[in-house]
Amino acid sequence: MIPTIGHASIVIGLGLTTYAVVAFVLAAGGRDERLAASGRRAVIGSFVAALVGCVAMVISLLTHDFSVLYVAENNATTTPAFISAISLWAALEGSILFWTLLATGWASVVLHRHRARHRLLMPWVGATLACVNLFFFAVMTWAGNPFALTAPVGAEGIGPNALLQNHPFMALHPPLLYLGYTGMAVPFAFGVAALVTKRLDEEWLRIVRRWTLVPWIFLTLGIIAGAWWSYEVLGWGGYWAWDPVENAALLPWLTATAFVHSAMVAERRGGLRIWASALVIATFTLTLVGTFLTRSGVVISVHSFTQSAIGPWFLGAILLALTLSLGLLVWRLPGLIGGGRPSGLLSRESAFLLNNVLFLGLTFAVLFGTLLPLLVTATSGDTISVGAPWFNTVNAPIFVALLFLMGIGPALPWGQASWATLRDRFAVPSILGAVVVAAGLALGLRSAAVLVTLGIAVLVGAIMIGEVIRGASARARGRDEDALTATWRLATRNRRRYGGYTVHVGVLVMAIAVAISSGLATDATVTIGPGETARIGAYEIRHERLVVEPLAADARVIETRAELTYTGPQTGSLRTALRDYPNSPTAIATPAVRTSFGEDLYVTLLASDPSTQAVTLHLFVNPLVVWIWIGGVIVGIGSTFAIWPERRRVAVAAAQPQRAPSVSPVEGA
Amino acid sequence: MRHLRWLLIPLVVLPLGLLLLSGFGRDPREIASPILGRPAPEWSLTTLDGKALGTDALAGRPYVVNFWASWCIPACVDEHPVLAAAHERYGDEVTIVGVLYQDDPGAAESFLARYGNAGYAHAVDERGALAIDYGVTGPPETFFVDADGIVRAKQFGPLTDALLADRMASILNVAER
Repeated sequence: MIPTIGHASIVIGLGLTTYAVVAFVLAAGGRDERLAASGRRAVIGSFVAALVGCVAMVISLLTHDFSVLYVAENNATTTPAFISAISLWAALEGSILFWTLLATGWASVVLHRHRARHRLLMPWVGATLACVNLFFFAVMTWAGNPFALTAPVGAEGIGPNALLQNHPFMALHPPLLYLGYTGMAVPFAFGVAALVTKRLDEEWLRIVRRWTLVPWIFLTLGIIAGAWWSYEVLGWGGYWAWDPVENAALLPWLTATAFVHSAMVAERRGGLRIWASALVIATFTLTLVGTFLTRSGVVISVHSFTQSAIGPWFLGAILLALTLSLGLLVWRLPGLIGGGRPSGLLSRESAFLLNNVLFLGLTFAVLFGTLLPLLVTATSGDTISVGAPWFNTVNAPIFVALLFLMGIGPALPWGQASWATLRDRFAVPSILGAVVVAAGLALGLRSAAVLVTLGIAVLVGAIMIGEVIRGASARARGRDEDALTATWRLATRNRRRYGGYTVHVGVLVMAIAVAISSGLATDATVTIGPGETARIGAYEIRHERLVVEPLAADARVIETRAELTYTGPQTGSLRTALRDYPNSPTAIATPAVRTSFGEDLYVTLLASDPSTQAVTLHLFVNPLVVWIWIGGVIVGIGSTFAIWPERRRVAVAAAQPQRAPSVSPVEGA
Repeated sequence: MRHLRWLLIPLVVLPLGLLLLSGFGRDPREIASPILGRPAPEWSLTTLDGKALGTDALAGRPYVVNFWASWCIPACVDEHPVLAAAHERYGDEVTIVGVLYQDDPGAAESFLARYGNAGYAHAVDERGALAIDYGVTGPPETFFVDADGIVRAKQFGPLTDALLADRMASILNVAER
């Protein structure tokens, strides 16, 4: 019964979405408001259909209904309820169902919010979003039905992927990432609508910038949560491996970030309209490529789902979306060229342009590294893999340059900077940066990457602090406010600028943490018997006992567990284990991580010898790793602050009657 | 000249399409097995009905080693009739051996009772040593060994009739030569 309802809801969603596409296209052609409104209702209806489908799937999982193939393959009677529920996105078909829920959700919210505005744009936005949703419903109907039944019905299922039941972050990372991915269809839809209606103006940029930032926040947090998950679960001591699927998430993030920056120039100074629309198209296409890479079985990675019939569908969708949107762009090209006001070489515009060049450089490097194995196999038949060292070598200099630019860009004036401005704003920070590098050298730091990152980070931080102080003190003097009030008011009146600064602070924190944790980490592999100790950094690890027993939560899982105590900067006991899942050929490590603000103690069990009770451990001391996650949280806070709706001017004026409106600086952050 | 800009579309779309298309039909997890072209691992195990079975008894004619498990649903269920038919058809020339992969013999017996026992032997690889020797990553996985004891082909994932015929050809040809 429940699977039937689920399947029916998919078919109903398909019908509603098809209707929405037709209604929106007709509405756009005939300027018919009522048709557009009915299209909107159909999209909201398709969201409800997807929601019913997801609920039906979760119920099937929770009740272990093995007549559903997806449940039989991803669930077992012993699976805990929480894991069962989040298994909605643990494998291919379910994840597409969940994906459809989010995609229809975005479409509903956008169409509802803008229902009374942008009458020319919105029907095309609706048509594009409905087309995207139609694709997902069609995939579920013809290629990957999540409610496909199996007969005969087994009494027991295979159980969820072992890797996916090991950490609560599995509940967080995919939804955040999917929200980011699916949300990137919104700026794309606005891009298509603007190209069709020739309305690529400042108004368009403003809407699209906001609708890019919202999914951008989710994508950013999703990527960071994924890095965190991989650090806590995979047991190799790191958080980023340049895995093809990590890259697939990073690629649209890079182009979306480039767009958010270039949109500011376009909005402020005109021009760059081709560029902005190309970035929006690229971002959406890259989300599809990322999905394709994960779901077609084309590349191997920790994420790849099983090979399936869905691959050709995605490939078709990528090529169709790319052909149509490029076609639109080329068609409108003559009307898009030019329009920008000229600016000097040393100006914020130039910094933004360089920023975009660097982001595009990163995009190409990552794309190249990700697709190269495919290219080599296709042309020569050999199998190669492009490893982390290659990506690090190629991308690290670009990241450092971006970091540098992040500091000086926002401090440069629009138009043309004078030497006096440059000296005022950059002299002291440059000296501070140099002092830190010299101090690092004097203290014996020899890693170039760490020194350069630290120096630039201090430079950038000092520039930013200088900017905030300049703004706040000007306001404090002019309005007779204390420094904190002045800073807060300045920030809340210029959310985009100060939200952007906060994001940059978060990035800075992450950059320092990444440079130091990867440059100064230590690790060792040791084999110790019961009662023996091993040293790593300032820590002493003692082997207390080895335990082999079935897991309490799921008796089919056998856990081999080393119980250890440790002393040093942190003191306590920890357990690290290898778990044998019946459906996993290799044992799954459960690393133990002891986090402090200074460093993480990270212990993985590699092997154990039952006869001697000796354990082989991989020990890591990873400095500052927690600051990567803290930096990520700061980025999230800053970007949320930036897009938070500004308070109404009227209310502000009423609260501060003495304020002259002309003083209000309109800063285009 | 003005229309040249339209060339941009095929210039971007075609190479990308061809590249991504080239990835189809390959399973990236199907890593070229180092065992292919090499002598098959030697072993001696007990079968489900308690008899001894090993490479000594198999030597001299082609054989197929199929790693499976009763919990491997639906892949092992799907390929079960394919193997039964193969035993029927090639049984005179080729020995088919099932090997239980991380499975309980009782569960395997009820699987066979339910889906049909074609009559070929199933060895119990209790400690998983044979699976390790063969480099099995997960059931079902099937290896095709020729009459000289050389592993000629490997199937990752469930067999179909067509796949089986294709893999079978690699060990039968050698036998006829």
